[in-house]
Amino acid sequence: MSRMRLTQQEADPIGGLTAAPIVPIGAVIAFAASVVLTIAHWDEVGAPIAAALGIAFVAAAGVTASLSASPQFAPFTADRLWVIVALAVGGAIAEYISTIGANRYLYDDYGPAVVGLLILSVAPFCTWISLVLAGVLAAAVLSILVVGSAAATMTTVPLVSLFAVSSAAVLSLSAAAAGYSYAIVDETLAWQRDANRAALRRDAELREGIARSVQQSRISVLGREVLPFLAGVMTADRITVADADRARELAEALRRALKEGIESTWLDDLAATVRASRSIPVVVVDPDAAARDLDDDQRSALTALISWLGDGRRSSAIRIALAADTHGRRISVVADAGAEPPARRDLDRFAAVARAVSMRAEVDITGENVSVELSHVLE
Amino acid sequence: MTLGLPGHLARDSMSRALAHAGHCAAWVCLGIGGVIGVIGATIDGDPGGWTGAALAALMAALLVMVARHPTVTSTLLYLIAGAATVLILTSTVMELGTRFDTTNNVVIALPMVALVLVGGAGVGSVIAIIWATLGYGLGEAAAFLGAALAGATWSPNFAAATAFGIVLVVRTFDGVTRRSDSRRETGLHRASQQTRELAIRHDYELRATARLHDTALSHLVAIAAAGSGPVDERLRDGIRQDLGLIVGRDWAIDHGTAAEGGPRMMRAADAATRAGGTPTETAATLETAFAAAANAGLDVQMTGDLAVLGVLGPGRAAALDAAVAQCLVNVARHADVDEAELAIGFSDGEVTVAVMDSGVGFDEREVPEDRIGLRTSIRARIEQEGGTVRLWSTKGVGTTIVLTVPEGGE
Repeated sequence: MSRMRLTQQEADPIGGLTAAPIVPIGAVIAFAASVVLTIAHWDEVGAPIAAALGIAFVAAAGVTASLSASPQFAPFTADRLWVIVALAVGGAIAEYISTIGANRYLYDDYGPAVVGLLILSVAPFCTWISLVLAGVLAAAVLSILVVGSAAATMTTVPLVSLFAVSSAAVLSLSAAAAGYSYAIVDETLAWQRDANRAALRRDAELREGIARSVQQSRISVLGREVLPFLAGVMTADRITVADADRARELAEALRRALKEGIESTWLDDLAATVRASRSIPVVVVDPDAAARDLDDDQRSALTALISWLGDGRRSSAIRIALAADTHGRRISVVADAGAEPPARRDLDRFAAVARAVSMRAEVDITGENVSVELSHVLE
Repeated sequence: MTLGLPGHLARDSMSRALAHAGHCAAWVCLGIGGVIGVIGATIDGDPGGWTGAALAALMAALLVMVARHPTVTSTLLYLIAGAATVLILTSTVMELGTRFDTTNNVVIALPMVALVLVGGAGVGSVIAIIWATLGYGLGEAAAFLGAALAGATWSPNFAAATAFGIVLVVRTFDGVTRRSDSRRETGLHRASQQTRELAIRHDYELRATARLHDTALSHLVAIAAAGSGPVDERLRDGIRQDLGLIVGRDWAIDHGTAAEGGPRMMRAADAATRAGGTPTETAATLETAFAAAANAGLDVQMTGDLAVLGVLGPGRAAALDAAVAQCLVNVARHADVDEAELAIGFSDGEVTVAVMDSGVGFDEREVPEDRIGLRTSIRARIEQEGGTVRLWSTKGVGTTIVLTVPEGGE
């Protein structure tokens, strides 16, 4: 996907999750700025109700931004940005109305700064193009207020200069937001390209190593019994009854092993790996082999979750169940609590990653177990 | 695709992205400063406006240099030029004495904010905060000096202080949140590698499965069915040939790869000659398929040119060869005929091989679940190469299997 259509939250889900607390911080600063600046130019305020309404709008915009960016409501959608910008611009309009006719300086108005600050706060969750658009449109709306303000105060400064001055805060902060979004997505995509190239280079040696380890697998072990037997028959003069019986047994075992081999998926292999390395029971229930439908990123997200749950005495047993219907897949990961059970905060990371790869995620923690429900809709 | 940034790159990437954000805001400030200067010069007739616009342009150009080559020299050069700009602008703007009461005004704020947002050489929150502090301090000092020269009142610039405050908050937040090391804990990069390994492992398991199925299962079934008695010579030859293909080799690895070397190529040439083709020494053929047919006592009539296999990569050609071999073995084993037709062709970027017989035919739905020849050795193999398998069979009339694979491949 191009960097025009990607947000940091999508390209780097952990980065998006880490950035979430900056939104309430930005919202609090914006709210504080609106209160302090309203008090600072209180002598210009002619309509206290409008002034209070302005602060209320800023507070509403801040709360909306904070909630929108919180991990449980992820992913952040484009319409949320517009709601936040609309509320913040509402605050700027209310401030304008509160000081109409008495506003000496545009410089000490909080409106443009608050709109810009909130746009900057949500930069990790928006595409750079939407941030630019939000900034330009907000600046355009605020410019209309400048015309009214200039008419009221009868200033001698050219209107174009007033436009430039009044839009400086919102445009520069939006530019910062867009610049950040562009750069971080660009950095992430560049790393992903490098990582993919490195992975392709590594594949050859990986294949060799894996092929060697496949020799130890179920199929290979059986092969080691079958091939000497066939060699024996080839060099013998006669087939005995024992040979025929042994051939039947081996054929049955081979068929069974082949059938299991065909029907198993990467998830069974992962479960076997976790089982072997962590010595905890890992059960996969996937009658329809739904694990095959997951794409590479979804597999990585699930692998990270299961490996993490199986690590560090977090779980005493893990059960992974996949259910499929015509619309999509449901994946339920239930881990019985181990000696050091995981915290919700930790699991939220994995939920954020899952949401970034088009899966819905719900985390439920009880004293006995941890349950993560993932679902994705087939396109 | 790998999800997100790994822990070891996050610090540098975040630092660069935040510096870029600051630069974008600084360019907007300087651009607006330039516009105000030009308007002042043209509409107000103030010649100082041209100076202001030129200084803003100079700062913007130097900031481009800092962004492209963030060295200590370029950063210091920008800070010095920026401080000089603020000094000249303050003394000019405040000298007019009519418009602004103090240096806390929007015109002086624009270059001062751009100074704070220098970004600067090096990575990491601490270094970035040091450069921003230097930019803020130099800007205020220059404004103070400019105000003194103009005999005006100095006052801390609110916009510059706000910009400095935002830089402090954002850089501190970045530094603090990165300490929790949640990236390493989540292990996404590791998981991505593991997923890849699991996919390759599964692929090998499937190949090994198909290999063992082709070589061993039919012989085991034949031995079990034969019961006690002398070894059938055809069975003995079949076992000998299959074991000859795999014994002494790493059989799970050595499956249709390009690096298999001479002996296989020689046999390929033999088989092709038997089939009446005239391929070059290195061309892909249906060696395994013809050998399997000959071994099963099946007479194969071929139409088309084997040379079309040359458009396939060695791995894909080998997969097609093995799948066709399994088709022919199935004909010999189940169709109750001793001849089959094989047609090969190339069109629209795809190689198509059709295997036809006039045997007893069957209903695919009635094939028992545990019969895996069609599923593994034919369908799975071809689908792994991005191809398709179509099958038509009518009881008492015969069976046609059409295998299609796209050109290229490993």
